[in-house]
Amino acid sequence: MEHSKQKQYGSSENKETGHSSVLNGHFDGTVKRPAAGPSLPPAAESGSQRPVMESWREERTRSVEDNEMSLPSLAAAYTTILRGLGEDPQRQGLLKTPWRAATAMQFFTKGYQEKIIADVLNDAIFDEDHDEMVIVKDIDMFSMCEHHLVPIFGRVHIGYLPNKRVLGLSKLARIVEIYSRRLQVQERLTKQIAVAITEALQPTGVGVVIEATHMCMVMRGVQKMNSKTVTSTMLGVFREDPKTRDEFLTLIRS
Amino acid sequence: MNGHCNVNVNDTVEEFHCNSFSDLIIDSKKSVVHRKHDTSRKNEEDQSRLPTLEAAYTSILRELGEDTDRQGLLRTPLRAAKAMQFLTKGYHETIEDILNNAIFDEDHDEMVIVKNIDVFSLCEHHLVPFFGKVHIGYIPNKKVVGLSKLARIVEIFSRRLQVQERLTKQIAVGISEALQPKGVAVVIEASHMCMVMRGVQKMNSCTVTSTMLGVYLEDPKTREEFLTLSRSA
Repeated sequence: MEHSKQKQYGSSENKETGHSSVLNGHFDGTVKRPAAGPSLPPAAESGSQRPVMESWREERTRSVEDNEMSLPSLAAAYTTILRGLGEDPQRQGLLKTPWRAATAMQFFTKGYQEKIIADVLNDAIFDEDHDEMVIVKDIDMFSMCEHHLVPIFGRVHIGYLPNKRVLGLSKLARIVEIYSRRLQVQERLTKQIAVAITEALQPTGVGVVIEATHMCMVMRGVQKMNSKTVTSTMLGVFREDPKTRDEFLTLIRS
Repeated sequence: MNGHCNVNVNDTVEEFHCNSFSDLIIDSKKSVVHRKHDTSRKNEEDQSRLPTLEAAYTSILRELGEDTDRQGLLRTPLRAAKAMQFLTKGYHETIEDILNNAIFDEDHDEMVIVKNIDVFSLCEHHLVPFFGKVHIGYIPNKKVVGLSKLARIVEIFSRRLQVQERLTKQIAVGISEALQPKGVAVVIEASHMCMVMRGVQKMNSCTVTSTMLGVYLEDPKTREEFLTLSRSA
């Protein structure tokens, strides 16, 4: 899935630097890499092509200590930005803005700090003899566009057909949080959520639909106020059986 | 206020003609609109500042733990810098620039309202967007303004690092200085991403601020008429 897309871009650097497996640039081929190091890009990692189904199991690559350590440089960068825009960083309203903006940006990318299994899903998978569709819809989602660093917000609708194992409902929303609080592309976000649920639960099928508004399109550029972008990922029986997909799509619309 | 550091605050300030405005509300020496400042950010300046902004954004991406060499982020510093310049382009513009020709003498003294003007601005505290709608009403005093110019005035002041209260007042003062109408009313209802996406995380919260000048301030009936008309669907 994501791997083949990366290869299609035909960049020969990808294979050499091993970055072809990098999506939200945080993970690398070796999941055994200790996660305690400061947040450096996985520069010299082997170019091992991880199977894409491992992608959700990425190690935590940013810690709370990392956040604290990077705060001064982030604040300095924001001060430079304020000056570069022609503002006066010393005026009262802007005095602490670099720090606030830096902390805010770290919050908007806190998805890099969290591990799916350990932090989120550990206890909340239950054995139930249920094989009908489970849908959680209208989950508010906030993300950051990786191209312009402006917010994306919208709603996520998730449906899955359990295969003897169900997931705590809020954990679906937490999975959304982990992947959305990053620098994202809506297509990738949709797929990551679907793949994570698939790998955690091995259900019969998963469907994820995201409808979002992109501030990069609304506030700037083409400036279309009411535009919405809709992406979806259907896995398993949702993909193969049109009736199941139909039922899911109808139920999320009602 | 939206302090441009190269503005000399001792610049002479024009006489502020108030007919029925309360002088206490607006201190004309502090009025940003009123100051005769050169547009300190022109396109050349923007271009020349771009590399610095780009470097700052690259550093931000690295500090957040991202890989700046991955395909999706390769040109992000440039795009983000340009986007930020666009979102603060209001610093370029002055009211004189946009209003020059569009004030007309009309014998009209009834309320004129332009409502549901979409507004997008940046919170100066967190550098995160806030957006909403502006409703503007004014009672002309023999001079009416082209309707889109009201929206352009909103654009000038909103495309800056702002605080919603200040934005509301700047729009109102801008219109009143340009037209000298009998009264100006501005209401902004906005949603602040700094409150929705982070912090207290209240999705449906909406902040409403208003500025009433002139007859809107003094006469409750006029104010009520404006508020009723701007609310109706």
